[in-house]
Amino acid sequence: MREKLSLNLKNVTQRSRSLGQDIGAVLTVCFLVSPVLAASDTDAGVGKIPRLASGKPDFSGIWQTTSAADQGLEPHEARKGAPPSAGVVEGDVIPYTAEALEKKKKNYEARATADPRLKCWTLGTPRGIYYPEPFQVFQRAQDLTLVFEFGDSVRTIHTDGTLHPVETDHEFWLGDSRGRWEGDTLVVDVTDFNDQTWLSRAGDFHDEALHVVERWKLIDANTIDYRASIEDPKVYSRPWNIEVYLYRHREKNFQLIENYCYTLDYDQYYPIPKQQ
Amino acid sequence: MTTAESVQTVVRLSVAACVLALAPIIAAAQQEQPAASTRAAPAAGGIANERAFPTIESGKWAGKRLPDGQPDVSGDWSNTIANHDNFTDPQGGIPGDPSPVARNHKLGPRAERAPSRVSDPADGELPYQPWARAKQQEFAVGFFNAVKPEYIEPLARCAPSGIPKSLYWHGYEIRQYPGYVVFLFGSGWRIIHLDGKPHLPVNIKLWNGDSRGHWEGNTLVVDVTNENSKARFARTGEFASENVHIEERYIFSSDNKRYNYVATFTDPTVYTRPVTITIPARRWTLDDPKNSWHFPVVAANNPGKATIADHFESICVENNGGFGQLVSRKN
Repeated sequence: MREKLSLNLKNVTQRSRSLGQDIGAVLTVCFLVSPVLAASDTDAGVGKIPRLASGKPDFSGIWQTTSAADQGLEPHEARKGAPPSAGVVEGDVIPYTAEALEKKKKNYEARATADPRLKCWTLGTPRGIYYPEPFQVFQRAQDLTLVFEFGDSVRTIHTDGTLHPVETDHEFWLGDSRGRWEGDTLVVDVTDFNDQTWLSRAGDFHDEALHVVERWKLIDANTIDYRASIEDPKVYSRPWNIEVYLYRHREKNFQLIENYCYTLDYDQYYPIPKQQ
Repeated sequence: MTTAESVQTVVRLSVAACVLALAPIIAAAQQEQPAASTRAAPAAGGIANERAFPTIESGKWAGKRLPDGQPDVSGDWSNTIANHDNFTDPQGGIPGDPSPVARNHKLGPRAERAPSRVSDPADGELPYQPWARAKQQEFAVGFFNAVKPEYIEPLARCAPSGIPKSLYWHGYEIRQYPGYVVFLFGSGWRIIHLDGKPHLPVNIKLWNGDSRGHWEGNTLVVDVTNENSKARFARTGEFASENVHIEERYIFSSDNKRYNYVATFTDPTVYTRPVTITIPARRWTLDDPKNSWHFPVVAANNPGKATIADHFESICVENNGGFGQLVSRKN
C-alpha cells in the first residue's frame, strides 16, 4: 500500500511542471473523492476545518508534502534522481551572501555523501516538514507533538504561553518551538539551532543564528498551507520565505511505521539468536 | 542545576550509555554510581529505590479522565527498581562487572534486593529452551569482553531500547490523545493505537513492535506484534525472538501516582511456556527532588505564571558523532 502510494506521488510530481500544477493535480483528485472521504474522515465538508473543543484549528493527523522541496527549495530542472520543480521560495532565489553561496555550491557538489539525511540524522526545522516521508501531529491545548517517521525525531510546539528558554545556547537539532494563535493560523517562533542540518538535498544550509517563523493554516479539512520565514544574518542577506502544502494521509489504516534508519548501518551485527 | 547543566546531563547520560558498552573499563567506572545508589537505597534520587512494590489490582478507574473518556495518565513516569544492568536480579549489578566497586562489594542475601522482573514462573527465571539459555549467557559473558559486535548492546549505538527495556532506561513521558496513547522515551517513541485497526503485515519487524490497545477500567491493555527483538531486555542478554507476542497490561492506581506493567510474553521458539514480566513505575513531577535520570526536564520559561516542565529534544546518534559509524567501520 505504501509503495503504491509513493509511486503515485512520484508520478504526479514528475508529470508536473510547476508547484501550482502539482497542487492543482492533487487538489483535483481530492475534489473528486473528497465529498465522501471528507465527510467520513473528519466530519467536515469542503471549506470546513476540524477544530478542538476550544475552537482552535485541529492539526491532528498524518501529513506529507507532495512537493519536490526536499530536492531543492529553489526552482530546478530535472537532474538524475530528482524531478524538476518550480521551487517553493517566494521570489525564487535564496538570498545567500556571496560567501555562503560558495559554500552552498560546495555542498551541492558533495551532496551524494555530505547530506546529513544520508546518515538518517534529525532533519531539523523546517526540513522535517517537507521531507518526503510522513509525520504525525498530536495536538492538545498546551502543545502540538510532531512525530517524524524518519529517524528518531520528536518535536514539541508549545502553545501554553511559555517563552523560549532564558539560556539560548542549547543548539537544538529541531530548535525550540513556541507557538501562538493569530486567528486560525498557528504562528511558531523557532530559535536556538545548531549548524548541523541542511535545508534540502541541494545543499541549502544555515548557521546557528537560524531563526524560523512558521505559519500553519488549514485551508480545508485535509490540506495545510505551511509557510516559513527563514532568517540567518550569517548566511542570508535578508529573511526569505517558503510555502508548501501538506496533505492528510487518508488511506485506510495508514499509520507511521518507525524508521530508525541509522540502525540499518549495524543491523547485520544483531541477528536474532536462533536454534542451530 | 541550571538549564544548561541539565541539558549537559542529558547529553552526558546519552554519551555515557554509548561509552558503557564500547569500553568495559569505562563502563565499569560508570557503573559505580547506580550500584552505590542500589546499596544506599536513598529515599529520593539514584536509579534504584524500592526493594518491594505494591500490587495494583485491575478494576474500575476512579481518577480523572480526559474528555474522550480515557483515564488521564499523561505525564512523566519512571521505574522504581533499577536500570537495565540486570534483568532477573535488577539490583544485583552486572554479572562479571570488573569495576573496583563491583569487585569489592559483596552482595547480601538475594531476598534483600528487588525481585526478578520475571514474576511468573515463580523462580524468577525466563523459561528458556536450553539453546536459548546458552545464547543469553553467551551475551552476558560477552558484555564485558565484546569480541563480537553483537555483544555491544544496540542501545549503546542509540538504537531504541525496545520492549520492555524502554520502561527502565531513564524516565519517559506519556501523552494521550483521542485514539492514541503515545510514549516518548529517551530512545525512541511508541504509538499505541486505540482504534482497533489491524496489525501491520507480519514481515515488517520493528524495534518497538506494533501496538494495539484499549482501556479496561484502570488498565491499558496493549497487544504487541511485529517485534524485531534485537534490543535485548538488559545487559544480561535476555531476549525473545521476532515471533514473540506480547500482551501488556499497564495497571494504574486511581491516585495516579503509580502503575505496574504486567506483560505476558509468548514465544514458543525461545521459551517453554508463556512468561510474565512485571515492572513497577511511579509518576514524577516538579515537586520531586531533581533527578535527571528519572525526570529529565527543566522548568519552562513562564515568568509570573505556573511552573511547567519543559522536555527538551532527545537526540542520540547525532550528538554522539561517529560512535556508531566508527564501530560499524571497524567491524
